[in-house]
Amino acid sequence: MEADDLALVSRATAGDDEAFRALVVRYQRKVYAVALGIVKDPDLAWDVAQEAFVRVHGHLAEFKGESAFSTWVFRIATHLAIDAVRRERTSRKDDVDELRDEDLSGAGEGILATPLGNDPQANLLRRELLGKIQEALDTLPEKHRTILVLREVEGLSYEDLAERLGIHKGTVMSRLFHARKKMQAALREYAEIAPGTGGDAAEGEE
Amino acid sequence: MTDCLRYAPMIGAREGELAPDEARALAAHLAGCPACRAREAAVRETDGLVAEALLARASRRDFGPFVDGVMDRIAARRARSPLDRMLRWVGGHRRSAGLAAAVPVLAALALVVYVRTDRPARELALFELDTVGNVSIVLRTEDGPLVLLGDGEPEDS
Repeated sequence: MEADDLALVSRATAGDDEAFRALVVRYQRKVYAVALGIVKDPDLAWDVAQEAFVRVHGHLAEFKGESAFSTWVFRIATHLAIDAVRRERTSRKDDVDELRDEDLSGAGEGILATPLGNDPQANLLRRELLGKIQEALDTLPEKHRTILVLREVEGLSYEDLAERLGIHKGTVMSRLFHARKKMQAALREYAEIAPGTGGDAAEGEE
Repeated sequence: MTDCLRYAPMIGAREGELAPDEARALAAHLAGCPACRAREAAVRETDGLVAEALLARASRRDFGPFVDGVMDRIAARRARSPLDRMLRWVGGHRRSAGLAAAVPVLAALALVVYVRTDRPARELALFELDTVGNVSIVLRTEDGPLVLLGDGEPEDS
């Protein structure tokens, strides 16, 4: 049976490098995935993920176990990734959180029903779809990528997102709305051009 | 549309994330709004796909060297002695450190230094150092201050 995180942290804090290695191996892919979702560049994400674990190691003695070890690692990785992006990003004017009437137009019809249905090539299509999702994610502004990644990969609640990002719960909801809408728009383009999907994916949806 | 502006962002909330009255109001809105029901369906269709895409991409990468890279970085930071860290810090702040070190030196040299000369006791010499390092000697004489230039010849200041 695998040692739990707290036991490994306790051993690592006492100087057991093998225990720390076990923690790294346990969370490395997910931390990398979070970093990749935010910074986009695979090599930078690799660097950010490694640095996150180095920072964690440097502060192991301060970890009191009040939150999950994984939460702590992800929090550090998120901040490092956001810092990395912000060092290079140029802000965009349309990068707003408020919701306007025009934001509600054209959204909501079925997007992926056909590509993910009973097609015999479903697996192939799914792999292609996941690639398209990655591409679509890469087109989003940093704050929309970040909130989607934190919501979906880390699974943070509205409250946790508000705390992590330093914004109000209402802003969390509207920012998520914008992020999803942009993702859906990008995926709709894919669904409309994917073989056999045609333009009828929306039909049958209320 | 005004109601949709209020309720559309609530779509996709998980159990317990909305206040009970918000959840009830959203449910009532969804019951009467086909557009928001379609939005809800779209969120359901795409929910989890971002995580799946990112984790699938992460899984395609060879993580063999990852943990060794982390441990190498940790070892490198452990290996730095306190002196190394100080030197690196100073190196990173060389210009400001140089200026900071120069301040007390300049202040000390800028102090008036009285020296004895072979002139009468009432003639005192004063060394002055300007900020670019030029030194002048000023003689306080009964006739007023005299500045001695490089060749030592007195000249009216």
